Amino acid sequence: MVNPYDKYAIEASVQLKEKFGGKAVGIAMAPPHAADALREVLAMGVDEMVLLSDPKLAGSDTLATSYALSVAIKKVEQRLGSVDLVLCGIESSDSNTGHIGPEVGEWLGVPSVSYVDRILEIKDGYAVVKRLIEGGYAVMKVKLPAVFSIAGTSYQPRIPSLRDVLAARRKQIDVWNADGVGLDPSLVGLVGSPTRVVKMWRIEIRRKGKIFTDSDVDVAIEKLLNELKKDGVPLGV
Amino acid sequence: MSNKILVYIETLEGLPAEHSLELLGKAGDLAKKAGLDVGAILVGYEVKSIAQELIYRGASEVHVVDDPRLGSYNLLPYTSAVVDVIKKTEPEIVLFSATVIGRELAPRVAARLKTGITADCTDVDIGDWVDPGTGRKYEKILYQIRPTFGGEIMAAIVTPQRRPQMATVRPGLFPIPPRDESRTGKVVEWSVNIPESEQSLVEVIEVKREKRKVDLKSARVIVSGGRGCGAKGFELLRELASVLNGEIGASRAAVDAGWIPYDHQIGLTGQTVKPDVYIAVGISGAVQHVVGMKDSKIVIAINKDPEAPIFRIADYGIVGDLFVVVPKLTERLKKKS
Ligand SMILES: Cc1cc2nc3c(=O)[nH]c(=O)nc-3n(C[C@H](O)[C@H](O)[C@H](O)COP(=O)(O)OP(=O)(O)OC[C@H]3O[C@@H](n4cnc5c(N)ncnc54)[C@H](O)[C@@H]3O)c2cc1C
Ligand SMILES: Nc1ncnc2c1ncn2[C@@H]1O[C@H](COP(=O)(O)O)[C@@H](O)[C@H]1O
Repeated sequence: MVNPYDKYAIEASVQLKEKFGGKAVGIAMAPPHAADALREVLAMGVDEMVLLSDPKLAGSDTLATSYALSVAIKKVEQRLGSVDLVLCGIESSDSNTGHIGPEVGEWLGVPSVSYVDRILEIKDGYAVVKRLIEGGYAVMKVKLPAVFSIAGTSYQPRIPSLRDVLAARRKQIDVWNADGVGLDPSLVGLVGSPTRVVKMWRIEIRRKGKIFTDSDVDVAIEKLLNELKKDGVPLGV
Repeated sequence: MSNKILVYIETLEGLPAEHSLELLGKAGDLAKKAGLDVGAILVGYEVKSIAQELIYRGASEVHVVDDPRLGSYNLLPYTSAVVDVIKKTEPEIVLFSATVIGRELAPRVAARLKTGITADCTDVDIGDWVDPGTGRKYEKILYQIRPTFGGEIMAAIVTPQRRPQMATVRPGLFPIPPRDESRTGKVVEWSVNIPESEQSLVEVIEVKREKRKVDLKSARVIVSGGRGCGAKGFELLRELASVLNGEIGASRAAVDAGWIPYDHQIGLTGQTVKPDVYIAVGISGAVQHVVGMKDSKIVIAINKDPEAPIFRIADYGIVGDLFVVVPKLTERLKKKS
């Protein structure tokens, strides 16, 4: 499955490509079976996909993952010429850290901006972006190349048509391994990861989950107030 | 030898942000457990006067970078300043708030230092850990506790070898430490190395921020409205809230639509609240909203869509049209009291 937050970034990349030309290349670091899901990215209009896949990458934390992705980006650069913009989602749906974008920026030595709502302009080697901050927004002018993490729902992901889906079948998915991209093996996987997960546990959902669907709203309200009384939090007193 | 925990302090209009004070208090607890000192990193321009306040709130040392080049927040120069302070002071642990700023500054700093970082911790603690691979024991290290895989699983994460151990911590979880003017501490000013290039790569053109006036933190009852409400719906919510002696909250969708000012927004980019009763009306339950209210004692959802995710984290729910349910509920409660 493609991370839902990444679809905004994919949509942004395709819109930028449609406006300014150039090429949109997708990069995913994942196990080989992810290839199927990547067809959806191609159907949305991305020109080609790179799947970085290697057992050596297993167990990578954000520092190691961002390193691996940055090396893959450099490899794309060698093949296709300079990369102007790297777009990420605001967070992944499994780890939700939002850290990969800034960390990739650091490995590449270029600016990064998180919580980008909209790319307003691209001109003369700069991008003007609107980003969210607590309580409002900031507009900034950023020298390219740069890494943006797209938070905006302003890039509503397109639903590919049947034609797009068929066209995507003819597009290329390159599968790269660690040696192929020239990764330093000591910087990826468990050895390259400073953090260790030492314990995991399931949290019981403490919520009662009593949902009243009575078509007579008055009945539902009585039930609700009764339950609250039992809980010792009678409303309104 | 490094012997301290440092907290990165965010400032707002010349004052330390509440969530930074909160974290300073929590870091103080950890410091006691680990036998370390607790300090603060304060970066900006004309911020020096805040240092004393941080000492009153529990910092025994405040590391200040007061520099005109750091006048408004800008990621790269701020990263350089924080990294420089960390290199000079060699802390064991550095904590940031998991705010919009913390969530980009902290990973950038961690990557430059090639150390580990855990995002959005809901708790941090000190403990020992034995590496099952090598048998080596690490004493009094930082346990970074966070939800993962969409929130149903908790994970404890450590950074055994590299330093500093870093984490961002969700705001709104810990009490703000009391102000004690008898506390003393030292203020250290640093001049830092910020490469010329970093100042010109990003230029801040405009910042628009609404001041927060409403404090929902101490509210016992919050009636919160979302996109389903419309301006009309919020009128109904106000009536309900007034019967309940409650405050009004909102999702970002409602704030963006202009039905209610930003200072009522709850969630990732709004406030974190934990009232006794949280009533979510016409709110779907997006994660970014849920992180701001999930620690409420009782959650009640009113939504016409029985599949809305908000019902999955609610104690009670009524499936129905809010324009019918809310007025009836208000009437019923009026009768009772
Ligand atoms: C980086 C980032 C930060 C964000 N920060 C925040 C944040 O701090 N806070 C926040 O809230 N969001 C935040 N969001 C936005 C978040 O992702 C959601 O878009 C938002 O919470 C949705 O608001 P909503 O539930 O009101 O609207 P919707 O998701 O549109 O839900 C509306 C709900 O109303 C119901 N409804 C409609 N009409 C009726 C009716 N007549 N009666 C009953 N029910 C009805 C619908 O069934 C639906 O479930 C953030 C997003 C990003 C990317
Ligand atoms: N394995 C990966 N492959 C490609 N992109 C990734 C990967 N992990 C994270 N990202 C990108 O980084 C963003 C933030 O992820 P995270 O820091 O894991 O929350 C995601 O939305 C993706 O765009």
